[in-house]
Amino acid sequence: MKLKLFHSTVLLFSLFSAAASAQDDAVAVDRGQKTFMRVGCYECHGTDGKGNEAGTALTPDTLPPEAIANFIRFSPGRMPVYPEEVLSDAEIEDIVAFLESVPPSPDADDIDILKGLTPEGE
Amino acid sequence: MTSSSQKTKASVGRRNFLKTAVVAGASTALPTDSEAATGKKAASDSSSSQGLAAPSAEQMNMEASTPEQLAEAQPDQLAANTESGAAKSFGSDFMIDVMKSLDLDYVFSNPGSSFLGLHESITVYGGNSKPEFITCMHEESAAAMANGYYKAALKPAAIMCHGTVGLQHASMNLYNAWCDRVPLIAILGNTVDAADRMGATTWRHSAQDPVAMVRDFTKWDDQPASLQAFAESMVRGWKIATTPPMEPIALAVDSTLQEMEIGDGERPKIPRYTPSEPPQGARGAVRETAKLLVEAETPVIIVDRLARTPEGMRLLVELAELLNVPVIDIASRQNMPTNHYLNQTRQSGRLIPSADLILGLEVTDFWGQVNSVNRAEMTSEPRVKDGVKLITISVNDLYMKSNYQDFQRYAPVDISVSGDAEATLPALIEEVKEAMSRSRRRTLAEKEKIFRKMHADSFEESRQLAARGWDSSPVSTARMSMEIYEQIKDEDWALVSVGASERFISSWPHRLWNFDEHYRYLGIGAGGGVGYGLPAAVGAALANKKLGRFSVNIQCDGDFMYANGALWTAAHHRIPLLTVMHNNRAYAQESMLVQGTANRRKRGVERASIGTLIQDPNIDYAKLAEGMGVWSAGPIENPDDLRPALIEAVKVVKSGYPALVDVVTQMR
Ligand code: HEC
Repeated sequence: MKLKLFHSTVLLFSLFSAAASAQDDAVAVDRGQKTFMRVGCYECHGTDGKGNEAGTALTPDTLPPEAIANFIRFSPGRMPVYPEEVLSDAEIEDIVAFLESVPPSPDADDIDILKGLTPEGE
Repeated sequence: MTSSSQKTKASVGRRNFLKTAVVAGASTALPTDSEAATGKKAASDSSSSQGLAAPSAEQMNMEASTPEQLAEAQPDQLAANTESGAAKSFGSDFMIDVMKSLDLDYVFSNPGSSFLGLHESITVYGGNSKPEFITCMHEESAAAMANGYYKAALKPAAIMCHGTVGLQHASMNLYNAWCDRVPLIAILGNTVDAADRMGATTWRHSAQDPVAMVRDFTKWDDQPASLQAFAESMVRGWKIATTPPMEPIALAVDSTLQEMEIGDGERPKIPRYTPSEPPQGARGAVRETAKLLVEAETPVIIVDRLARTPEGMRLLVELAELLNVPVIDIASRQNMPTNHYLNQTRQSGRLIPSADLILGLEVTDFWGQVNSVNRAEMTSEPRVKDGVKLITISVNDLYMKSNYQDFQRYAPVDISVSGDAEATLPALIEEVKEAMSRSRRRTLAEKEKIFRKMHADSFEESRQLAARGWDSSPVSTARMSMEIYEQIKDEDWALVSVGASERFISSWPHRLWNFDEHYRYLGIGAGGGVGYGLPAAVGAALANKKLGRFSVNIQCDGDFMYANGALWTAAHHRIPLLTVMHNNRAYAQESMLVQGTANRRKRGVERASIGTLIQDPNIDYAKLAEGMGVWSAGPIENPDDLRPALIEAVKVVKSGYPALVDVVTQMR
């Protein structure tokens, strides 16, 4: 495992650095997703942060890490507070990387069974 | 039975019974007690007369396999018995006659020795029709079934169980029914006379006062000492249960009384049942309410259990349209059609704080509507503006038990009208018409445009939000809800249960389905007791079967595991019901709350999911259903697999059977 990582890192550095940063991003995304699940964000915001009645959508238009930290450390509303002891700033950055990697949802008008729905119930 | 000759009350009956048995034995060669117990005679008879062995259990099943066939077979058999003089009348037969006089459709029960007499009288004497015995797997399920049945049929059903162990099981769903203002009749077997208790188990299954355990959440009860008293108490109990505030009642029925033989000319009288007219609000208070409603600039109506019947919905629409007043429907019953432009439920956060008058119609927690609470901080504050006029019309103050606190926090109001809101609406509508000038009518009519737009905007917002995570796995609750709707919307559908809260599925049905009839929605397990959803759905689906409606149940996994035997009842009685599992593999509500607590205490959330997740191993609900004879599909994790499974499931349900589709879902 360690060897493999070392190997690929050396290889990537020796080739081109853009790929290296892509790899770093992928690692951060993966870490972020794991944190998102481990500390239970998914329970209220959905496994990919798309939101529902228990928690607002966190993607698309994900807030920057500082704003998220600010919100979740002092959440005044229904959302539980996550103090630094529970979730570090670095972990929040990973979560943001994960949320930014989530592909967008389709538009309601592109979904057959949502397309024709009207408030009158036809 | 035969040994307590020291008893006089029932010994005449017993002696008569013995005499009858001797006579009958001579003419029809009935088996003796011991032969009946061992089944020996029946077996030897059939082999000697027809040269055949006794039928196997399987053969017997094939001969009278469905409950319908059994129900049909019984009356002939009954007539034959009567002609031969074998069947005399017993106390429990008379009790069934009383139930028939009330047009009782169903008794939800599982067998027990303290009500053997009644059990036999229902199935044999009564022909297993009016009432029919519905076989349940748990008394708690029986009580939820009777609850669901009432809300769909608008007609009480009975449950029957031991007054001891059975009632202990049934009590939670009796409490759900109590909180839900649902009338049901609990028949509790008991052996009052200690001298009649044959054996240790009968002692354990007897109580001095069986109803004591549930008296705090039943409206009335009795333990009648004679058949005449039974008849009067049954009719009285039915009447009390169905008079608003409607609630369960309980009758403890003595096993000795059930067995008592009724001699010629000794038949007690069944009193005539006349339903009570529901109480209406006092005219003066109603007039004042109407005047204030007409004058108000930004009034709001909040409704919860207003529509006891479809008429309640019709009247509410009439009142709302007359004033163009927005309605917020808490929807413990479907009070306001969701496609009506004045159904502004999702705008409550905007409308309540700006209201100058709020009228609550059968709202139990009115305080909770006009205040907001912060659970974590343990604080509350008004969410209404100063000077708002608060008016309630309800039977809340006629709802009189102290111990359990479901009456909610005391709400100070300006006018409090005690009366059934549905019964009071015609007078209120009349008074509103009276109080409204033509120019006022014109002014109010102008609000229609605004509310139509708000209604349309709110719907559009939900429609857009439903697309979020459409392709996610686990499946989003929006996708699950809308895939179900797509398959049922052209049926005469009813969402018969969502368990303890529709919020568990982010309220998607009420956001996007068209609940345009009273019966399309039956509310929740009102006491918050888990183990309500599935059996309540089965009870409602039983009612809907006769009414030609397609029943769908969105079933939380945690709730399912309390009472999944109800699926067998649905299979056994051929009850068409589509159950779709909202399988988020958790007690998600509690999971969120425990997490919040751990965070607030700065102790991290790693352990907060202990005790709240239903994982490791995951439960295979489709297999469970299959094991109970129910068609099933799943677990479905890929949302694209949902539609074909639902199409198949709907076919099964339309052919008259239950079906279950297990969907692995997002938490909410
Ligand atoms: C118990 C449910 C719950 C959990 C768990 C939870 N949230 Fe929230 N979150 C909410 C709710 C509810 C809101 C909306 C807050 C409000 O309106 O006051 C919210 C809001 C937010 C917002 C603000 C969104 C916006 O655009 O205004 C962010 C960011 C956020 N949550 C991130 C997180 C992260 C990251 C986690 C995990 C570390 C998390 N939440 C866990 C319920 C939850």
